[in-house]
Amino acid sequence: MQAAAAEPGKGTVRAKSCILIWLDGGPSHLDMFDLKPEAPSEVRSQFKPIGTAVSGVQICEHLPRTAAVMKDVALIRSLTHELGNHDTGSRFLLTGHRPTPALEYPSLGSLVSHAAGQGGTMPPYVAIPHDGVGGDSSAARSGYLPGAFAAFNTGRDPSRVDGLQLPEGVGFERSAKRQAMLEKMDALSRQVDQDAGTANRDAFYEQAWRLLSSPEAKAAFDLSRESAQTRERYGSGNIGGGCLLARRLVEAGSRFVTVVDPGWDMHSQIFRELPDSRFPGSGKLPALDRAYAALLTDLRERGLLESTLVVLMGEFGRTPKLNAIGGRDHWPRAGSVLLAGGGVRGGQIIGATNGFGEFPVDRPVGPPDLGFSILKLLGVDPSAELMTPSGRPMKIMGEGSFIQELV
Amino acid sequence: MRAACANAVALLAMSSIAAVAAESPPVFRTDVLPVLTRAGCNAGACHGAASGQGGLRLSLFGFDPETDFERLTREFGGRRIDLARPEDSLVLRKASETGLDHEGGRKLRTDSTGYAVLRDWIAAGAPAGAPDLHVTGIVVEPPDLLLENAGESRQLRVTASLSDGSRREVSALALYTSNDDAVAEISKSGGLTLTGRGLTSIMVRYSGQVAAVRVAAPLEGTGMSEGGFPPANWIDEQIRGEFVRLRISPAPLCDDAEFLRRAYLDLAGRLPDEATVRAFLEEPASMEKRLWVIDELLASDAFVDYWTMKLADLLLLNGQVPAAKAWHAWLREQVAGKAPFDRVARELITASGDPARNGPAGFMLLASDPRDLSEHVGRIFLGSQIGCARCHAHPTDRWTQEDYHRFAAFFARISRDGDVIRASERGEVNDPKTGRPLEPRALGGDAVVIPEGSDRRLALASWMTDPVNPFFARTIVNRVWRHLLGRGLVEPVDDLRPTNPATHPALLDALVADFTAHGYDLRRLIRLIVSSRTWQLASHGGSADAAAVKLFARAQRKALPAAVFADAVAQVTGVSDVFAGYPSGTRAVQLISPATPSPALDVLGRCERKRACDSSSNSGGGLAQALHLLNGSTINDKLHSGLVAELPALSNRAIVEAVYLRAFGRFPSADEFDAWNAMLPSDERRAEAVADLLWSALNSREFAANH
Repeated sequence: MQAAAAEPGKGTVRAKSCILIWLDGGPSHLDMFDLKPEAPSEVRSQFKPIGTAVSGVQICEHLPRTAAVMKDVALIRSLTHELGNHDTGSRFLLTGHRPTPALEYPSLGSLVSHAAGQGGTMPPYVAIPHDGVGGDSSAARSGYLPGAFAAFNTGRDPSRVDGLQLPEGVGFERSAKRQAMLEKMDALSRQVDQDAGTANRDAFYEQAWRLLSSPEAKAAFDLSRESAQTRERYGSGNIGGGCLLARRLVEAGSRFVTVVDPGWDMHSQIFRELPDSRFPGSGKLPALDRAYAALLTDLRERGLLESTLVVLMGEFGRTPKLNAIGGRDHWPRAGSVLLAGGGVRGGQIIGATNGFGEFPVDRPVGPPDLGFSILKLLGVDPSAELMTPSGRPMKIMGEGSFIQELV
Repeated sequence: MRAACANAVALLAMSSIAAVAAESPPVFRTDVLPVLTRAGCNAGACHGAASGQGGLRLSLFGFDPETDFERLTREFGGRRIDLARPEDSLVLRKASETGLDHEGGRKLRTDSTGYAVLRDWIAAGAPAGAPDLHVTGIVVEPPDLLLENAGESRQLRVTASLSDGSRREVSALALYTSNDDAVAEISKSGGLTLTGRGLTSIMVRYSGQVAAVRVAAPLEGTGMSEGGFPPANWIDEQIRGEFVRLRISPAPLCDDAEFLRRAYLDLAGRLPDEATVRAFLEEPASMEKRLWVIDELLASDAFVDYWTMKLADLLLLNGQVPAAKAWHAWLREQVAGKAPFDRVARELITASGDPARNGPAGFMLLASDPRDLSEHVGRIFLGSQIGCARCHAHPTDRWTQEDYHRFAAFFARISRDGDVIRASERGEVNDPKTGRPLEPRALGGDAVVIPEGSDRRLALASWMTDPVNPFFARTIVNRVWRHLLGRGLVEPVDDLRPTNPATHPALLDALVADFTAHGYDLRRLIRLIVSSRTWQLASHGGSADAAAVKLFARAQRKALPAAVFADAVAQVTGVSDVFAGYPSGTRAVQLISPATPSPALDVLGRCERKRACDSSSNSGGGLAQALHLLNGSTINDKLHSGLVAELPALSNRAIVEAVYLRAFGRFPSADEFDAWNAMLPSDERRAEAVADLLWSALNSREFAANH
């Protein structure tokens, strides 16, 4: 009963939007947020733990900026499940449902989009650069919900979203003329009345025109409007640009923005790959550190952190025992997730793994709990029922319960 | 199936049910378990969850009666039942919330039949019942209902037959679901109330057996006039029967332009070119000239290309280059050579060898696990989503976990040496309950005797392609019908089951009989359907009511598939696409691999052939597609050369006609011509205006749909 009282009710929902930073491939909990300096060398990270803004909490030395913002972060160290493939693991995490061959479940982003409804200027669910996560699985797609609730993919080059700029030789005036001609052509055609097959399409054309005719909405996709200083702050890479664009999109009204950062599947040379990769400092950790800390700080400075839930995760953790080529393989039994903003109480650790980072010894959190909590924080009722196309009633979250420590 | 039902009805007629229902005490498997299922006790959200609920764990939908019996009667020293004082049994007090809280709420009222069954069962010593006793079938009366007025109601009567030859009435214990509450509602006790108009069915379940009742309510109004909808062939007679019975006014026959565009798109996946449209429209209207076009299209290469693509989508033809290429080439040969569909299927499911050399063997690479492979076969060839029964009894069909695993066992003995497929002597699918190997058995079929050393798949193929097989021909016939009419006689097309009846069961039977009697010939089936008046109705006019549209009272508009749309843009603009690795002039429908790079096909939502494309909702394309078509490359890059370069020199009349004939397959109306005539300047802005006119046509609603 107490658990129920601690869940955010209708009046207390603070998060309007969610930015999900998805570390595709499976980030290593043992080398990032759950270091085990006491463990034997075949388990222990070569990286040193460093202190953070929260006393007693240590994370990896290659995440100094993140360490400085840990007061905003609830760090879950006890994420656990049993699906060790990229495809199934991603689907479990991103839908909150254990995947089955019988039914594709909608992603959290699609569920939020569904709850938000259509009609706004900004697309409610956006994926940067696209929703092909987990080996291009359907993890981040709309599942049994209509395709209308799938993500709007910004494309490989988020600074040039396909179709948002007018084609060469077509100015604003000519585009407006085209729109008028198209409307006239549809109106004159005998094939005017709609049915299910065409109504969906019309809704998207309308949304496209709304977006194209709103300078503010179009500007939200335009990273060049940010100062060089801000872009530098986030970092220039894939994840830095993605996080900055995500901030602009939620600021303009998008509800769920997924920033997909591929390349975390480090089966070899993990201690070189994470910090350095091609040259010193070019690895995944420095870019993530810069982008993540910049995002939280920027949101806070703009007064958006309270209304924006930021989630950082991937499909699973990695094997405690290093493999023969200095890498770590897939390990779903333990992993870390970071939640910040959106009403989440920061500066805390939730759960713990054993001495080798193998499995939770305290407060295990399953993907259904995580999905349940993210939706609840965003004001989407996880116990509401949806209908599958075959008429099967389906609770948004069949399992899982709210992680009450979060609020 | 059909024969079994008829039998049961005959038996019913001979003896009085009341007499049979009297009264042996209830037993667990056939009496108590249905009560628990009906009350939702073993649903996934309650005690049927993998970890149970509140300490009690039941098998999902009762797929494991022995264990459920153990748990209820023996676990925790039998504390859940009280033989001496049945009413005090924990299971009854919890379920009825008598003096105890139940997290799941009150599931059985103390005055309900279900409560009485449980109580009487406990009072009788909680017998398990004979281990092989089971319900063999249920019969629902009446099987078919025609009701006139909203609010009108009827009581359904359900009788179960047991394996010991006894029967009992279970109307109060069966589970009822309406397939469409907007037409008819059904109470928990089987009381049916008409809520709207049209056609639906009621699904009835009891102890693993299922049945359906069709409910029809005529539309308001007088329906069509005497002599309306004259049948062009026997399909129309069946369709007409429902129009009359339900007082539906069908749309008029489509005009020649509509016919031609629809025929080209449905049969050949492309648009008729300008000259073809002009020539066809010049000829006087007649059914003969339509049939002539149909036959020409059925004999065309474009038909072969398009139907190869459609079958490749169905078969999930995907994979690495040499194998995918061989498979595609083989498939195209089959379509071109008019191979009977049963032979195509047989070769696919029994293929062996190196897929790079023997095309159909590529099908075996869809999955390596026999269970996954059997689910593909179930969905593709048998129209059945058997996957539900992998982990628990199918909730809406009659398949048990054992049925599922026995079916999968047909694919247990395949060896893979790299990608090379061979029939093997070894390999099993084990019963998940006992862990013991299962002998293969076809769905709803008898045990098959497979000679030692023989490929199990041969036995499956023989069963599947036997003309009396209840699934195979129906599934492909229904799919072809759906492709042509926009809606299957059964929907969804991969969910054929007794509880999901066809809108026109007799028509589906007749189409299947014709198909199997004439060599599983897809062209014959297609010709039959498109020669009907039903297929040739206009997509406007007649009853607009959703219930009427569902019964094919007008043609349904269909979005152009991704590849067809891309090819149509190229065809209209006169600027073809270039696909890396293919000869120039290759059209999108001819591509072998769904991974061929093409941003246009990606954004248009092509079938990736990773999972079923035929029943999903990935149409509509989303915002990214709309933006792309408005401003992206697919259309805009084709507005610099080709048609757009030729048109400005022509007269306004010629320009507007060319655009309309190419994009819409019809002449512009007077209003349309006037509108564009006034907007085409004669000065230097003429070229731009022509491009914009073509741009508008390609972005229009009329272009994007097959109507």
